[in-house]
Amino acid sequence: MLFVILLLICAGAALLARPVLLMGGRFGAPLLALAPLAAFVLLARQQPTIAAGEVILASYTWVPSLGVDFSFRLDGFSLLFSLLITGIGTLVTLYAGAYFAEKPRATAGRFLSLILLFMTAMLGTVLADNLVVMFLFWEATSLLSFLLVGFDSEKAEARKAALQALIVTGGGGLALFASILLIGLSLGTFSYTEVIARSDELVASPWLVPIIVLMLLGAFTKSAQVPFQFWLPNAMQAPTPASAYLHSATMVKLGVFLLARFDHVFATVPWFGATLVIVGSLTMLVASFEALRATGFKAVLAQSTVASLGILVMLIGLNGEVAVVATVGFLITHAFYKAALFFCAGNAIHATGEAHLGRLGGLARVLPFTALAAVLASFSMAGLPPFIGFISKEYLFEAQLSSGWNAIPVVIAVIVNSVMVGVAGIVSIRPFFLNRRRTPKVRHGETPGLLIGPLTLALGGIALGIVPNVVAVTLIGPAVLALTGIPVDVSFSLWHGVTPMLVLSGVVITMGVLLAVFWTPIHIRLRRRRILHGLFGDRFYDKVFNGTLNLASTSTRILQNGDQHRYTAVVMASVVVILGLGLLLAGNGAPISATGPLRISVLAVLVLAAVGAIATTLTRSLVGALVSVGIVGFASALIFLLNGAPDLALTQFAVETLLVVILTAVLLRLPVKREHTRLPRERRRDAILASLFAVFVFIGAASMSSAPPDMELSLFFGANSYLEAYGRNVVNVILVDFRAIDTLGEVAVVAFATLAAWALLRRRSTPTKPAKG
Amino acid sequence: MNLVFSLAIAAIMGAGIYLVLSRNVMRIIFGVSLMSAGTNLLIFLAGGLQEIAPPVIEKGEEVLGTASANPLPQALILTAIVIGFSLVAFAAALALQVYRSDGTIDTREMTAAEDLGTPFTTGGATNG
Repeated sequence: MLFVILLLICAGAALLARPVLLMGGRFGAPLLALAPLAAFVLLARQQPTIAAGEVILASYTWVPSLGVDFSFRLDGFSLLFSLLITGIGTLVTLYAGAYFAEKPRATAGRFLSLILLFMTAMLGTVLADNLVVMFLFWEATSLLSFLLVGFDSEKAEARKAALQALIVTGGGGLALFASILLIGLSLGTFSYTEVIARSDELVASPWLVPIIVLMLLGAFTKSAQVPFQFWLPNAMQAPTPASAYLHSATMVKLGVFLLARFDHVFATVPWFGATLVIVGSLTMLVASFEALRATGFKAVLAQSTVASLGILVMLIGLNGEVAVVATVGFLITHAFYKAALFFCAGNAIHATGEAHLGRLGGLARVLPFTALAAVLASFSMAGLPPFIGFISKEYLFEAQLSSGWNAIPVVIAVIVNSVMVGVAGIVSIRPFFLNRRRTPKVRHGETPGLLIGPLTLALGGIALGIVPNVVAVTLIGPAVLALTGIPVDVSFSLWHGVTPMLVLSGVVITMGVLLAVFWTPIHIRLRRRRILHGLFGDRFYDKVFNGTLNLASTSTRILQNGDQHRYTAVVMASVVVILGLGLLLAGNGAPISATGPLRISVLAVLVLAAVGAIATTLTRSLVGALVSVGIVGFASALIFLLNGAPDLALTQFAVETLLVVILTAVLLRLPVKREHTRLPRERRRDAILASLFAVFVFIGAASMSSAPPDMELSLFFGANSYLEAYGRNVVNVILVDFRAIDTLGEVAVVAFATLAAWALLRRRSTPTKPAKG
Repeated sequence: MNLVFSLAIAAIMGAGIYLVLSRNVMRIIFGVSLMSAGTNLLIFLAGGLQEIAPPVIEKGEEVLGTASANPLPQALILTAIVIGFSLVAFAAALALQVYRSDGTIDTREMTAAEDLGTPFTTGGATNG
């Protein structure tokens, strides 16, 4: 029941968001925030059960034949994620209400509705035990991310970024789905609980390599790892509350979530962890480099988010329990400070209308509380004591030093963390305290709704740093237990004594401060290097994207050029190619032999028909062509007559006569003299096409008629016509009795054709000349 | 015999294809007519041509004798003849009406749809 209630609360709130905002006025958003808060409380109350080592499982039948059930799993790790999702979700709801205060309430309602729907999808993803169900929710988060990035749908950049995010994460989602299907194929189950229990079977599966590669694709695209890192900075087109929620605190961590979940399963596959360390390290380097080059307030934060995701991926790849503790710890730490910083960025941009970091300054005078929150959060980001970020960073270094890897990841981590310190200084000190004369005009100050989020998270960061053991025991311990399967003693404390980690921290902070001080010259120098532009950006994505569109429009222009002749020729050429391929592949499967005695009368009529057909193509006048068509028709009537089909002959004679009369009547009203409508070149090509087709028809018809026909149905009709339908003419009995409905349909076709022809041809009082253009 | 049949069918079909590839609407219609005649003969050939007595149950008999032609393709062709006739007659009526309103039976000059414009007016795909 727990899971259903949780999902219903969030989904229900999403449905009610618009009416609540429309009617509730300024109390609307706080009212709505009660829903994620309730979910948070509900989840928090499960903490004692989970901390005791229990796992809450529930399952509701959905498609049992495919092994897909709505099954859910709450363990330490999913509890941690759910608490982050609902907790930050509560703050985001409050914040968004204030952020959109000047916008029409319907707009705010739409935004909150999407945010709450997104929260539902996120909860579903982290709580689902059935991997197919998890994938459904996973894709829902991609879709909602698309809607939220493109929320300012009148801006072209927003639309482009939204599409890019959707294509990258949606494409990765498809890879993930393939991986899940392969897991199901290997184990016969989609349940994650069973997958961990039978992980040795999965590792022994012949599909192991594709499973891992596809899963990595899904995780790397979602969590913006190299080479897919470009979409996340572009996604900053989203309104800031969405950026804070989706693109830093929760959604982009889904890839990390998935990798952490399966790290234990693939523990015995050495290249799984190695890939993670390498990709994570590369992402860290690229993102910190790009962070130095970024100019926008949110862009700098986005690049540092990518770097943090790289750190997480790298940590998961490292072996040892310390690495798991470090992963979980950094997850929490990052969610706290990065969401807070995004909120502060949003406040600054919202107040000034200026998103360019270099043009902001001295905002502390007008936004004092935002400045306080920004400073607190950035200190946590920089890893200064006594913030939680300090402990988290110590753990990061300890995990690296105690793992089996060489010094390279440590060096990378030092560089990246220095950049983090630099970024921390640049996003908190500079816009709020320095450059006072640059202070732009402030449109409006802080409101309680805009402050509650950043202050809560920033103060939470310092509180967690001062009493770290509370969170270590209640959340991190159970999460590590869920990931490793063994209880690990997690003791967080600020002071470990003088350790190698402390030395590294000192190096990092010194370098970081230097970076922050010399930020502007470094930044300008890096930006001046033209060669760096687009090196790590989305140039390749654009090439593929535009290439696909160009291919589509080029092929459309070639194939759909408005010339009916071209259309028919393309269709006929395809038919000829397919027929030829079919004959080629059939090989000698269909031998050709002559059957039946040669009858002179039939031979003569057949020659007449063939000559008539060929004459049709050669004659210059339409009337001549009509005569030739008539010859073919009457010749086939004769063939029917000569081969025991008097009914057919009778019908063919009648129809052919009627047809010739009608076509003559039409031709009388048309210009008789025929001019060539095809160039000689086109006629030659068409003649070749037609000849090839004729050759294939000949081969097909000859080999078909070389084998005796299957007489089963004919014998049935012959045996039952009189006994069941009391008719002696078997053809007639088939038509009006055995296949009566079919004949009724045929009669209807004739009737409709007549009606339509009559409607076309009846005289109108006014000429119908369609307007051109 | 079957090879001669196949040759004749191939000739009729080939001529039909050649006509259908024209830009003159009436020639296209003739082509359709030829192709449907060829198809009918093809179905006829598929039923086998060994027996040439009409498939009628003799007086006093209760089942069709083995020396009769195959009734099944005949029933199919009977339907096909009529459908083919309806199609060609309707197409001819359509062609006549088009000539009355547009003054042409050349498909190159029937551009009412093309005149509405193309989605690729900017001369290449643009991003976003």
